[in-house]
Amino acid sequence: MTLLRLASRNLLNNFRSYFLYFASMVFSVLIYFMFVSLKYDTTIQQQVSGSLKIGSAFNGASIVLIIFVAIFIWYSNSFFTRKRKKEVGMYSLLGVSKKQIGWMLFYENFMMGVLALAVGIIMGAFLSKFFVMLLMKVMGYEAIGHFVLSAPAVINTGIVFLILILLTSLHGYRLIYRFRLIELFQADQRGELAPRASLLLALLSLIMIGTGYGLSLQNYMESVIWRQLGFVMTPMLILVLVISGTYLLFNTLTVYLLGLMRSRKSYFWRGIHLVSISQLLYRIRGNAMILTVITVLSATTLTAGGMAYSLYYQNEKSILLSDPNSLMFLSGGDAADTKIERLIHESRGVDVRYHEKLSALEMTVDMSSIPSAITGSKQVFTVIPVSSYNQLADWQGNKEKLNLRGEEAVVLDAGYSQQFSPAYQGASLHLHAGKVTRNIHVIQLCPYNVLNSGIAGTVIVLPDEAFTILAAQTTPVPMQIYGLDGGRQEARQLADTLKQHLSESSHLSSQAEDYSAGMQVFGVLIFMSGFLGLVFLAATGSILYFKQLTEAHAEVDRYAVLLKIGVKRSEIRKSVYQQMLFIFGLPLIGGMAHCVVALTGIFRLMSANIAVPVTICMVVYGILYLVYYLFTGHQYYRIVTQSATH
Amino acid sequence: MTTMLKAVNIQKTYGSRGNLYPALNGIDLEIQKGEFIGVMGPSGAGKSTLLHVLSTIDSPSSGEIQIAGQQILSMNDSQLSDFRRESLGFIFQDYNLLDTLTVQENIALPLALSHVPAREIKQRVQQIASTFGIDDLLDKYPYQISGGQKQRAAASRAMVSQPELIFADEPTGALDSKSAANLLDNLALLNEQEQATIMMVTHDAFAASFCKRVLFIVDGCIAMELHRMDSKRQLFLQRILDVLASFGGDPQ
Repeated sequence: MTLLRLASRNLLNNFRSYFLYFASMVFSVLIYFMFVSLKYDTTIQQQVSGSLKIGSAFNGASIVLIIFVAIFIWYSNSFFTRKRKKEVGMYSLLGVSKKQIGWMLFYENFMMGVLALAVGIIMGAFLSKFFVMLLMKVMGYEAIGHFVLSAPAVINTGIVFLILILLTSLHGYRLIYRFRLIELFQADQRGELAPRASLLLALLSLIMIGTGYGLSLQNYMESVIWRQLGFVMTPMLILVLVISGTYLLFNTLTVYLLGLMRSRKSYFWRGIHLVSISQLLYRIRGNAMILTVITVLSATTLTAGGMAYSLYYQNEKSILLSDPNSLMFLSGGDAADTKIERLIHESRGVDVRYHEKLSALEMTVDMSSIPSAITGSKQVFTVIPVSSYNQLADWQGNKEKLNLRGEEAVVLDAGYSQQFSPAYQGASLHLHAGKVTRNIHVIQLCPYNVLNSGIAGTVIVLPDEAFTILAAQTTPVPMQIYGLDGGRQEARQLADTLKQHLSESSHLSSQAEDYSAGMQVFGVLIFMSGFLGLVFLAATGSILYFKQLTEAHAEVDRYAVLLKIGVKRSEIRKSVYQQMLFIFGLPLIGGMAHCVVALTGIFRLMSANIAVPVTICMVVYGILYLVYYLFTGHQYYRIVTQSATH
Repeated sequence: MTTMLKAVNIQKTYGSRGNLYPALNGIDLEIQKGEFIGVMGPSGAGKSTLLHVLSTIDSPSSGEIQIAGQQILSMNDSQLSDFRRESLGFIFQDYNLLDTLTVQENIALPLALSHVPAREIKQRVQQIASTFGIDDLLDKYPYQISGGQKQRAAASRAMVSQPELIFADEPTGALDSKSAANLLDNLALLNEQEQATIMMVTHDAFAASFCKRVLFIVDGCIAMELHRMDSKRQLFLQRILDVLASFGGDPQ
């Protein structure tokens, strides 16, 4: 038991130096526990029970989180053990057996891990309540989170982390066996030899990234490569190209550029540049891997976050596009319609702005003259007269009035896509109804609709005379259309009430209901990507922080020399911040570039405007990242100057 | 003769209240321009402390120090850095070359920091390197050359900015005798030809015999002073050894 006591004494006496490692363990536990708590929280489970998407989103995200937490803990653990090499060597020198040292490190690490686990869960229990409420708010629920410590969440977290702790403790146990005594005493290994840059490899890295970018920006439908390789292989190819290209870029192009700066004496031999650039060159090879990892993580975070936020941001717009009317349903006969009308007028907080009864035609049209990728040879259209159109357009506002004659027609398609939809504009189509066949000529396409897409598909607007002739030959579909003023919450309640009085076949479409359904899915998505994004950011920042501080400890002597020969502290500070800017800036710029390309590729399909939400995402990420940069720069400077006298 | 360095009643005490240990105990010293002065003494006598205090790397507990007419004790941190860079040169026992820089860049460092134009830097580096006989090593990294070559590179770095005063702290401590003689010859030559003022701390009598004047420090005080005058180096070495023997110090 003496080993155990030595281990616990070590922990207590050196807590300050262990604190960083301990804190990062607590942080990992905290994050993971909160996430699992959300997953098991009864309030959330009740609210989203119907949605399979949300459940699988939670599962997928928790796997990502486990992988991430594992990497993070492993990394901070190796940082921590490296710092203790000398101490371990000292024990060995004093004659403690390797086995005893191994067990001592094992106990230490294990005790600290279990302690971190406990602290993390306790802190997580308090913070979870807050996060449940936040999630509910983002998802648009009014419910109040009544959070209780959930047993399955504790068990889940406990198992995952005990395994991780056991693995890292074994790693600590192996430390003494992995190194010769002399290696334990050599502080930090000498940096790599001065790297030599190959212009060829540097160009190759650019070509690889360029090809990856090119592929992801190609039109999915028309590109030969996409068609040949398919929708699974092509993204894989893009990932491989971009990631390995990024690694090569950091490994060679940066070296090449820094080397170029070094050879330009008039720049290099001016003030502190000499120190900054040579330091960067000296360390860049060892940093290439980590910079690549950070770049990829940043890109993933930004892309996921940007996408989720864009969808969330787009929700309102796209709902207004697809549901221009507050309520719309298929008529269930005069008696039923009157009952519904009374219910609507009676409901509180909601006023009727307009009410229209519309008889529309459903017609199947041969599309072979204007083929497209998303429609078959025949398509069902909803046909309405121009007078009804003008009436609705007037009520809904922002929509142009139409004036049609003879064979003229206008197509309304709220989901119109230039790439995929049929080329309506200028097309000639034939409408058949009973014995009548009418030719129409589409003179205009409007990328919006006046009917809710839950009930009507693509709409053809005809002159009144033409409509009347066709209507006489077929059975019109009567529709009830309402425009309401009032709160969204009240409108949703009204829709719930109406559902009880309407049959399934009336296909009630409610703007408020669709809105909150969208918010539910997108809300969870944005919350989850925001949550994971924060974790990734914290972890990437911490990895860079650990790595740089490890280097700072190895650089103390070098900076001491500089101070002795008369370099000012302010110059050293400048040089340190310059170097950190390089190390922190490269992956951020790389990650942002990757993210912009990926999002452009994805959203071109949806022809949505994502500039605003993505910019907001990047600015937020950039600011948090900046905090890490400044903090690391400050600590680095403190370390390299503190030991110097004076 | 102008006075390069003037120190009056330098005291340096280590430790805290109740447990004080005086490392320097009232040292008065003047160094003239163009002098090559050696400081000797047994281990723990305070020679390195004296060098640190005089060279602004450490500050004395009390006393006054004037270098090239400037009061260095009243300078702030930033002024001291400027002063060190422009007026002082340092040679250390463990070279203290930056292994991220080539020999040429190491020597150029002080000039680059003072924003001397690149072309002038190149010229001056070339000149000092050939004086020390390392001009064919300029593109090598410190880990690629021998200890003696490293020390000559370090000396070149100390001298390249033509400082008023050069401090050398056991410069031959890590060198073999041939490299040591080579370095000392070079220092003596620069002292003769360029009137470079050098203060060198050493415990090696052979190294000290290259100086024009040697101070012996015992228990924080200057115990004795030897002038070489015009005597031969061999003779001066014998006199130094005699003095050391009389202190009971280690002659080698």
